Amino acid sequence: MPSEAPQVTVAALFAVLTLFALIGRRMGVPRAVVAYMPYLWAFFLFFVLSEFVSFAVGIWVLAALSFLALREFFTLVDLRIEDRWGMVAAYLAIPFMFYFIQANWYGMFIISIPVYAFLVIPIAITLSGREVEGSVLSIGALDLGLFLLVYCIGHIGYLAFYSTWTAILVVAAVAICDLFAWLLKARDRDPMRSVAYQLFAPLPVIALLALAVRPWTGIPLVHSLILAVGIPGLVAIGCQTIDHLEADLGIDRRRLQPGRGEVINTMKSFVYVGPVVFHYLRYFLDAY
Amino acid sequence: MDGARRLLSIPVLIHLLFFRPVLKLLFGVHVEGREHLDGLQRFILVANHNSHLDTLLLFHVLPVRHLRRTHPVAAYEYFSRFRAVRWLVEFLLQPVWIVRGSVGEDPLAGMRDRLSQGRSIIIFPEGTRGRAGEIARFKSGVGRLAAEFPDVPVVPVFLTGPEKALPKTRSLLVPVWNHVRVGPPRFFHETAADFTAELEGAIRGLAACEGPRHRRSRRTRQPPTLAVLGIDGSGKSTLSRALSRRLSSDARACLVTDGVELFEHGERAEAPPLLAEKLRASLGRRTKVAGSLKSYKIPKLAELLLRDHVVEELRDWYAPDVVVLDGSPLLNITAWTGLYRNEAMDEAMCLSALRILSGRDESLAPDDPVYRTFPELVTLRRLHLAHMRVPDAVLFLDVDPVVSMERIRSRGEERQVHETEEKLGRLRGGYRMVCRVVERDLGIPARTLDGGRDAGDVLVMALEELRRMDLAAFAHLTGLKEIDPHG
Repeated sequence: MPSEAPQVTVAALFAVLTLFALIGRRMGVPRAVVAYMPYLWAFFLFFVLSEFVSFAVGIWVLAALSFLALREFFTLVDLRIEDRWGMVAAYLAIPFMFYFIQANWYGMFIISIPVYAFLVIPIAITLSGREVEGSVLSIGALDLGLFLLVYCIGHIGYLAFYSTWTAILVVAAVAICDLFAWLLKARDRDPMRSVAYQLFAPLPVIALLALAVRPWTGIPLVHSLILAVGIPGLVAIGCQTIDHLEADLGIDRRRLQPGRGEVINTMKSFVYVGPVVFHYLRYFLDAY
Repeated sequence: MDGARRLLSIPVLIHLLFFRPVLKLLFGVHVEGREHLDGLQRFILVANHNSHLDTLLLFHVLPVRHLRRTHPVAAYEYFSRFRAVRWLVEFLLQPVWIVRGSVGEDPLAGMRDRLSQGRSIIIFPEGTRGRAGEIARFKSGVGRLAAEFPDVPVVPVFLTGPEKALPKTRSLLVPVWNHVRVGPPRFFHETAADFTAELEGAIRGLAACEGPRHRRSRRTRQPPTLAVLGIDGSGKSTLSRALSRRLSSDARACLVTDGVELFEHGERAEAPPLLAEKLRASLGRRTKVAGSLKSYKIPKLAELLLRDHVVEELRDWYAPDVVVLDGSPLLNITAWTGLYRNEAMDEAMCLSALRILSGRDESLAPDDPVYRTFPELVTLRRLHLAHMRVPDAVLFLDVDPVVSMERIRSRGEERQVHETEEKLGRLRGGYRMVCRVVERDLGIPARTLDGGRDAGDVLVMALEELRRMDLAAFAHLTGLKEIDPHG
């Protein structure tokens, strides 16, 4: 196999996604799929830039994606005027964390949000005055948004730092799971059966994909199969969790729009997959 | 050719190459119903108003050809405080200036001119930025304007997001998603009042799709303030403290005197220190040792301005239910002006000074004699310091300067430069005049009490006067309703 094959494949996938994002709506593709495309396209833009330009450039696409998701969360969550400095602190955590990723500073990456940002946000909240009512809820909301939509998604960035193709495998597997979930939900209204299908239906496709790209990911056969089994489960857990939060945030999945749940709804499948796959590979494989 | 030139003008390029990308990147503008603006030659855009971002968001929605042909209605006195800001607003937005509260001037004249020229305008019919997530009652101007131009479509727009990104009273911009919902255009029918109500209903209808997402603080409004005035030795500090104690029986009262004191359940409570208050106290100590009225003036002015700032900060840091002021910074400055320029001070001048210092000077002509007589007021305006708080009620402790001097001497403290019978007499006159003007022209209840009587009697009289005022702002204070002040 030619040595340029992985790069050529990334470029080809990116070209197909770009074309699909541009003409998908005109082709009569359902709205839910069309809305999903820009975010998937952004992930592949990150991969393409990482492969062809520099990882240090590409990672900021993922940072921007995290910013979009966090901004949407802050728009929807019930925050007070007094929480503004806390919001600023949360936003500022994004460039720091993604800088630590591109600098391969694992120690700081792993604690930047769960230690430092989570310590800064409460003090930032107190800077707005002594209006204490609701502070605990606000700090919890800010921390949760930052944790789920920046820290968890950021793990995919670090995964790409080690291996772009492993990150592509994860993103593609999640997209396949989402596609199956969408197809199954559209056909079957029974929630239990729907979840069962979501767990098992994409499994063979993901397993085949994991085995096909194994020469580029370098993941041994057994671990590739474990990932193929685990990813649909993690996607289901992520969806279950975020669906619950979405309901509280007032997100109406029939009327998704940018700023009204579209970003969070698209990213929800990555929330559990990113960190779990990253730490699984880091624990079991020496290359990570 | 003219159209192309207009399209390539610098303001249009700034809108297209700077404002639109920045708004989109940072504030994620999402527009629904943009098609309602297609094909309109001119229009009146009507929107709810919660933030300074609103106008920029509306310009974000406009078709490019309308960018230089649409004029937002803007408050002149607000944007003219800084010359650079006014220039920038004029350069980029070409607003129709209106002077709020001006007498004898038709506020619709500028809008009428622009519409007659075939241009479009943007109106915020609430008149001013409201509280986050609330739509205030519409003023009737938009209905009257639509009645004069029945062929011009009126487009209702609902904005959500700016009230979170840049709410009133905050200057820190925070990225959140903004939504602009453009409703179908409407044409005038029936009466101006009906049409105004219809527009308000249309915007409320557009807003109805948004879920309530504003967790409100209990104390987002400014607490009511009661100012106790009087010359030195009149007993105003004693009365202020006694009132604070009394009003705090079932509330949290804050007394702003030589320091800030907090009262809860009728007792003094611990008040964490404020930086601005420490600075004010330090300045206050300097004024007390000033050797002449001239060297007293600037530190005292700075101290009073800081005291006013402290009153603003109290809401955020102590969350009081009522604030008692031992001397109001606004009214003290005005009364003290008489001490320095007694011959120039009359009631008209006093009212003008009060208006300028409280930022209610929109009806004053730029060549008003008050600016020549008191050039310090011009400086204060330029420094953006003339927006002092007007108290909700005033009690003036009137006492003969002879009596007050006896009290001052009995304290055994070093006397301040103005503590002479002659100067206190002039100050007393200044306070009396201020109280008259405040009550008559500003509609703030101001009552005079006999400060020569015993402190307990003065407290009884003060509580009775406050009850008689029957102010809604003080209605929540049960300490005011209790009959026996000695209890």
